[in-house]
Amino acid sequence: MAIKNIALSIAGSATSVISAKYAICLAKFLQAKLTAIYVIDEKALKDLLRSKIFVEVEALEYERDLREQGQVFLERVKKAAEAKGVQCDTMLLKGSIYKEVVATTQNLGADLLVMGELKEITSRTEIFYDEGERIFHESPCPVVVVKNQALVEKLYKEL
Amino acid sequence: MKISDYLRKEYCIMDLKSTTKQGAIKEISDFLSLSGKVRDKNQFVKDILERESLGSTGIGHKIAIPHSRTAAVESFIIGFGRASGGIDFNALDGDKVNLIFLMGANPGELNLYLRLLAELSRFLMENSFRKALLEAPDAEEIINIFKKFEGI
Repeated sequence: MAIKNIALSIAGSATSVISAKYAICLAKFLQAKLTAIYVIDEKALKDLLRSKIFVEVEALEYERDLREQGQVFLERVKKAAEAKGVQCDTMLLKGSIYKEVVATTQNLGADLLVMGELKEITSRTEIFYDEGERIFHESPCPVVVVKNQALVEKLYKEL
Repeated sequence: MKISDYLRKEYCIMDLKSTTKQGAIKEISDFLSLSGKVRDKNQFVKDILERESLGSTGIGHKIAIPHSRTAAVESFIIGFGRASGGIDFNALDGDKVNLIFLMGANPGELNLYLRLLAELSRFLMENSFRKALLEAPDAEEIINIFKKFEGI
């Protein structure tokens, strides 16, 4: 079975940049289509509003900033992919990060999900609350967790 | 990332001297300045108070979480102050506040900041967590309480 549809989960962190580069390499090698997904953490915003830590205007400001950040990152990935001759769609979503990534991966019929390196788990709560962990465990398709920045940079440069 | 990765006993004041909201924020900020992460302490306090002007961060249960995303800090910081006599924070439930968490983050740390704020709010919903903080004998125990609730 050929891998023709790759989903990429990005969060705007340094590890996301590396995972994006690796996903572009994979898509190029496999001649697959790439879809980059960024989710605005609306759940966290709602939780903070509910607990009264945020006021409405503050939550709106954060959502706007997260949206802008997401747009910037998605645009960068798209440009980088296209520069390497890879077709890349982007999706800017909002909600619970892991739920949206898992559902979108499912809806896209992705054969593979690429994500950044998982953080070291040092507590039980992180297993339940870390978005990366939850995406990894609940993904409907095989997951590639990208590691080794030097190797990825080398592959990407040679592409 | 967890709160205990950032909260240090040096930034925990077990008995705040201040009796006012502004004073408490300034007092905790003074301790946080020791972290070397505060670029401009006066601006930091100003930004925290500006956020307070939008609505009190006294969220009830004798807790306040004054916070700001501001260029006055280099990276995420959190300090804690306990006021046994209570401080009027114009809290939503009208009660005085005994537990104050002061947080600041650089504007570039959006995701981290949201996650840590959400984690703190989750812990503070727990009665046993609040009780433990109120009864902790020293700053070291404050850190241990966080670690316990984080499951470390």
